[in-house]
Amino acid sequence: MFFDVQYAIKQFPVILEAAPMTLLIAVVAMLLGMVIGFSLTLCRMYRVPILNRLAILYISFIRGTPILVQIYVTFFGIQFLFQLVARAMGWNASLGSIPSLLYAFAAFSINAGAFLSETIRSALSSVEAGQMEAAYSVGLSTVQAMRRIIIPQALVSGLPNFGNAFLLLIKGSSLAFTVMVVEILSKAKIEAGAGYRYTENFVVASIIYWGMCFVFEKVFVLLENRLKRYKHEITI
Amino acid sequence: MIGFDIGYMFSAIPLIVRAIPLTFVIVVLSLFFGTLLGLLLTSMKLGKNPVSALIATGYVSFIRGTPTLLQLYLVYYGLPKVLELVGVDINSWDRVFFAIAAFSLNSGAFLSEVMRSAYLAVDIGQQEAALSVGMGSMQTLRRIIFPQAFAIALPNLGNSIIQLLKETSLAFIIGVNEIMGQAQLIIGRGYGVRQFETFIAVSLIYWAICFAMEKGFAFLENIYKKGHREIGR
Repeated sequence: MFFDVQYAIKQFPVILEAAPMTLLIAVVAMLLGMVIGFSLTLCRMYRVPILNRLAILYISFIRGTPILVQIYVTFFGIQFLFQLVARAMGWNASLGSIPSLLYAFAAFSINAGAFLSETIRSALSSVEAGQMEAAYSVGLSTVQAMRRIIIPQALVSGLPNFGNAFLLLIKGSSLAFTVMVVEILSKAKIEAGAGYRYTENFVVASIIYWGMCFVFEKVFVLLENRLKRYKHEITI
Repeated sequence: MIGFDIGYMFSAIPLIVRAIPLTFVIVVLSLFFGTLLGLLLTSMKLGKNPVSALIATGYVSFIRGTPTLLQLYLVYYGLPKVLELVGVDINSWDRVFFAIAAFSLNSGAFLSEVMRSAYLAVDIGQQEAALSVGMGSMQTLRRIIFPQAFAIALPNLGNSIIQLLKETSLAFIIGVNEIMGQAQLIIGRGYGVRQFETFIAVSLIYWAICFAMEKGFAFLENIYKKGHREIGR
């Protein structure tokens, strides 16, 4: 049959079961990526001697290689490190004891960290230097100034790009099946393979992804509008 | 055996490099068809017909809202079925065809956004001036708007092309023997040892190609930006 609509509708809730996993990967990768990205940005903005160069190299590497390659490198890299550490510490653990989610979280966080560091850098530099000086002049420390003055303002200009990064993570999580994580695409493939109904399952999966991206786009626009309420913008 | 075998990594590089021509063929052909599709989508979006504008917007939204790998699968499994309806059997066609088709459809959407924003960024006074000296709209487009839009589009175009290059790595999942596929071949021949070194070699190759492309685009940007006054010193 060309396209079994009944079957497709029936598969919707089945494949939707894997949506929480996709969201989990995207959210964790985003959070860890923010931490990594923020550290990288600080290294670059304050030009910490060796870390600055390392950060530039790291960002260039992540941006210049496909995410699939990064997933494989992280996969074998973690196994390699695990073996090294196990040897040195005398453990007797096997590679199979490493949870597959760890590989996914690590790979996507490392990837997100590089892209987010560029986003965070542009967001932080969009805040006027005068804000920091004013903060110092009333006696705030750097950390306090960052937390109370700079970051809230940077968030306003950075939010569209953070939203983009999050959407890219949702779509990027589709590659997690290579490390045996069952997210939406894996589920679709498993279901498709069971009955050879490839097209229907993949169409359902794409509708689910499309729906998720659409919803999150709207959420981010709402957030932006909320944060921009007191911002003066250019109007003609 | 533990330990990073750098010698193995370097010896793997010439073997993997053999797949670069195929990767470039995929990129170039996908770009070509993607540009055509992008032009079509842009003209639909900026045109006067609301229905075609809606179709174009919906298509771009779909492509941007779904993972590229999923699009690749949809084309690989779905296109033969669609063509079966009109009696054409492409089940035996080379998988590279499906990869190029999927990447063309994908890049077409992204390129249409690049083209649209570049076109809209050209000052409308340019078009008015051209029309006022008697140029037809096709002439205006060709001689005045396009050169300026191209210069504006170059950075985004460069990003899109580099993104496309990286996405071709997904084609190995449907069995195309490009860089990643070649790496798997080498690993298979070596009975699965030294996978880490092989993938590090792959990443170094992609990194080098992307680096070269970035420099190339920076060079092109310098040429096309001659005479253009920008904000800043």
